[in-house]
Amino acid sequence: MISPHVLPSTLHARLALALAALAVAFFPAPTSLAAPTDRHIHLEASRFAYVPAVIAVSPGDRVTIEFEAADVVHGLYLDGYRLNLIAEPGQTARLTFVADRPGTFRFRCSVTCGPLHPFMIGKLSVGPNWLLYRAIGLSFLSVIAGLPLIKRQALRDTP
Amino acid sequence: MRYDLIRLPLLKPLLRSRWPQLLFQIIALGGFVLAILAGLVGTPVGNHNFSIVFVWIAWWALLMLIAVPLVGRGWCSICPIPVPGEWLQRGAVLKPSGRGPSAGSGRGLSWGRRWPNRLRNIWLQNGAFALVALFSAVVLTQPRVTGIMLAAFLFIAVGTSLIFERRAFCRYLCPVGGFIGLYSQLAPVEVRVKDPALCVAHTPKTCYLGSDDGYGCPWQVFPGRLMKNTYCGMCGECLRTCPYDNVTVNLRPFGADLQHPTGRRLDEAFKAFILLGSVLAYSAVMLGPWGALKSAAYAVGTAAWLGYALTFLSLIFGLLPGLFWIAVRAGQVFARSNTPTRQTFIAFAYALIPLGLAAWIAFSLAFVFANLSYLWPALSDPFGWGWNLFGTTSMAWTPYLTRVIPALQTLALLGGLMWASATVHQIAGEQSPSVGHASGLSQSLPVILFCLLVTLALLGLLVG
Amino acid sequence: MTAKSAERAARLLVIGLVAGLALAVFAGRWVVETRHGASLLHARIAEAGGWTPGDLSATVGKPLHLRLTSDDVMHGFAVGQTDWPAVDVLPGKATDVTLTFDRPGTYTFYCTRWCGLNHWRMRGTIEVRGPVEDRLQTAAELATTTPPSYVTLGLDIDAPHLAAVIPARKPSAARGANLGVTIPAAYLTQDYYRAHSPAKIWQALRVETRHGASLLTDDDVWDLVAFVWQSNTSPEALAEGRALYASNCAACHGETGAGDGVMAAALGQQSHAETGGDTKAPVAFTDATSMLGASPALLQGKIIRGGMGTGMPYWGPIFTEAQTWALVDYLWTFQFETEYAP
Repeated sequence: MISPHVLPSTLHARLALALAALAVAFFPAPTSLAAPTDRHIHLEASRFAYVPAVIAVSPGDRVTIEFEAADVVHGLYLDGYRLNLIAEPGQTARLTFVADRPGTFRFRCSVTCGPLHPFMIGKLSVGPNWLLYRAIGLSFLSVIAGLPLIKRQALRDTP
Repeated sequence: MRYDLIRLPLLKPLLRSRWPQLLFQIIALGGFVLAILAGLVGTPVGNHNFSIVFVWIAWWALLMLIAVPLVGRGWCSICPIPVPGEWLQRGAVLKPSGRGPSAGSGRGLSWGRRWPNRLRNIWLQNGAFALVALFSAVVLTQPRVTGIMLAAFLFIAVGTSLIFERRAFCRYLCPVGGFIGLYSQLAPVEVRVKDPALCVAHTPKTCYLGSDDGYGCPWQVFPGRLMKNTYCGMCGECLRTCPYDNVTVNLRPFGADLQHPTGRRLDEAFKAFILLGSVLAYSAVMLGPWGALKSAAYAVGTAAWLGYALTFLSLIFGLLPGLFWIAVRAGQVFARSNTPTRQTFIAFAYALIPLGLAAWIAFSLAFVFANLSYLWPALSDPFGWGWNLFGTTSMAWTPYLTRVIPALQTLALLGGLMWASATVHQIAGEQSPSVGHASGLSQSLPVILFCLLVTLALLGLLVG
Repeated sequence: MTAKSAERAARLLVIGLVAGLALAVFAGRWVVETRHGASLLHARIAEAGGWTPGDLSATVGKPLHLRLTSDDVMHGFAVGQTDWPAVDVLPGKATDVTLTFDRPGTYTFYCTRWCGLNHWRMRGTIEVRGPVEDRLQTAAELATTTPPSYVTLGLDIDAPHLAAVIPARKPSAARGANLGVTIPAAYLTQDYYRAHSPAKIWQALRVETRHGASLLTDDDVWDLVAFVWQSNTSPEALAEGRALYASNCAACHGETGAGDGVMAAALGQQSHAETGGDTKAPVAFTDATSMLGASPALLQGKIIRGGMGTGMPYWGPIFTEAQTWALVDYLWTFQFETEYAP
């Protein structure tokens, strides 16, 4: 059982938490130390998945996508980069771009290829997913932030 | 802290008059009929069919992102599904027939039976929602299926109105109503009486029985003792029938209904689990990169689908409530609480309401904005027959806001977690006032950890 | 407004809307179809029914209006043996096409975007009647008076065609041109080229050059064979052949001609009941032994007639003769090097 007297004073706790939250949310992420390389990704699309569905590259990499459709005409739209590519079986499409925007981006099919077309989704990670890490950190902080509430309530109600 | 909105100049006549509501209902009914027609005879290509695009993208967005968070059950006041049945029940489209519909009087067509006592809960709605959620991969992508489903809702609603009194479909059967009702507890708007003492003294209770000015509450709620939004469909009849002008619409803080320790029930608690489990499943199946999972969810009748169905049902009816029960039990053990576990379990489940709403908002943001651009061609060519009513048929698909959606989702999920945690603390305070407040922390922590776990899972699925 | 009249107005509004909406929808469809002169022609993958309707009719000189839509995936539409460019048929959208025929006969329209394993089976017919005669000209009357080469040559295109000798390196037409050898004119004619497999040409040229002034190796003679091939084609033909190959053949035969296209694996798994025959893996054009033993006429025959249940489509109603030869010419780029097709 946690005694309320062990918890730090409410004001200090709030300040510390607020600073921690700001730091987690806004502190610039360390830039990648890895030198940008050339990547060749063979991406195969079929109804209704991409293979590989999850791709990881480093920021600054020159990425060449060989986009192959295995059954019908499929498309490839990359969020964040707004790239669009279309492939038909027998005609592989190629696109080269520099992954200068860090983050995690979904790519989706852009040519109606059947009922599950709107759910044909894959993921491209350019560098670590800092947004996710910040969100996880903030989640823990928000749980901790709730703890002083009880102490305040306890102090208020104790005669 | 309540602000009486009826004080605002135009609101009172707008709410008291029957025409504005009727006009909105007619428009909604028109859209609904169009959606059924488009689903049944229009193109089988979902993203170019009005029924899929306007029901599962436009209406869903409106509901999940605006209507429910801001006006709770506001949609129910203009929902077209029960309306034809209600007209038949009342024998009128506009004017009240002088007496409420419950006694089977007036020129209405209904048998007017009372809804059976054993079914006076939302378990049927829970089941209906779970069923729709289970088949969602097919419902959301096949216009025929959506069309048939909507037509079935209409059919069942009319049938229910002809057999039972008032809005039995809305109150006990509608799968949408189940979740709107639960989340409406969070909304900053409510319909309440100004002075409950007045209601105690007043007979007959025209707000429930009806009068020359309006019908008795179709939602089977007694406005004089209404404490929560859950079952008030904001239809405004009580506003019209109260001779003392005692009913009003209040602006209030978000989540005010969660403060009420009374009236918490197991069926509502399970609704919270079903919704939470569904959003987790949807985030994985629809927005995840796992093609095998999507195909399994779609291929109804195959062994893969059976596996998916069993997993989904165990998640919402078994795993989530089970984990939550462990968290509640652990908290009770740490706090040495003597409160019956069932009561504590149900009470804490209400903290999942803000968590669930935030989760659905986060999910819907991604799904809606990625596909919103389908709206414009669907407006000009609702059936996919090559029409061009407004010149927008050739507008190409393009996802919107892709660079900011992950951040917005994160904000929603974090907001939900904080709100849920605060609610857990509040409920813990209610649950064990005698044991001491420090132990309230011990009781809360496992439940908060459960909320944290769910949030992390959703972050991983949506933002990761 | 009295309560009664208000009620009446409200009821009218409701009935008007609901009935009006349903009416408007079907009236709208009728109006649109009348204005465009056609109802929708639905495209579905072959397994789901293909083109609906699959049989159209037209009259010479009278424009045929078609409104094409797809019910599932992206398809394409083109009419075989005509110049009209292919149009894409998009799911849930309508594409308008107007065709005016100037010769009667039976035309085949087909899908031009790969839509699955049975994409090539997605075909329909347009019966075009002449303005005066009220009978259809039969296919026999329409056919060119000369039958395809493999028929006149009496080739059994199903018989094995293995080259006895194959080159050690990829033959190059440029090298063959620079060898300083004058090839007798008889070997350079189109008829000779079409009738003889590269292996046969090699054998003949080997004999011709055995006693020449300069000593030619076997591979040098292969370079001559490549040169013979190149003289009978052109950059334009190879470009057309490449385009035809990419859109029609690569899905099964592979973009590199190795028989490893995306459809290849599934092809072998089709059942006899589905196809009426025993499907085979797509031929590898990179396999020197079988390619070099086949004459252009044989290849043309296979393309025109198809594979009799092996899964190889028949392209006779689709490609014009010029297109077929262009495609055959292109197939040799998997065996020979040329500056005409980098």
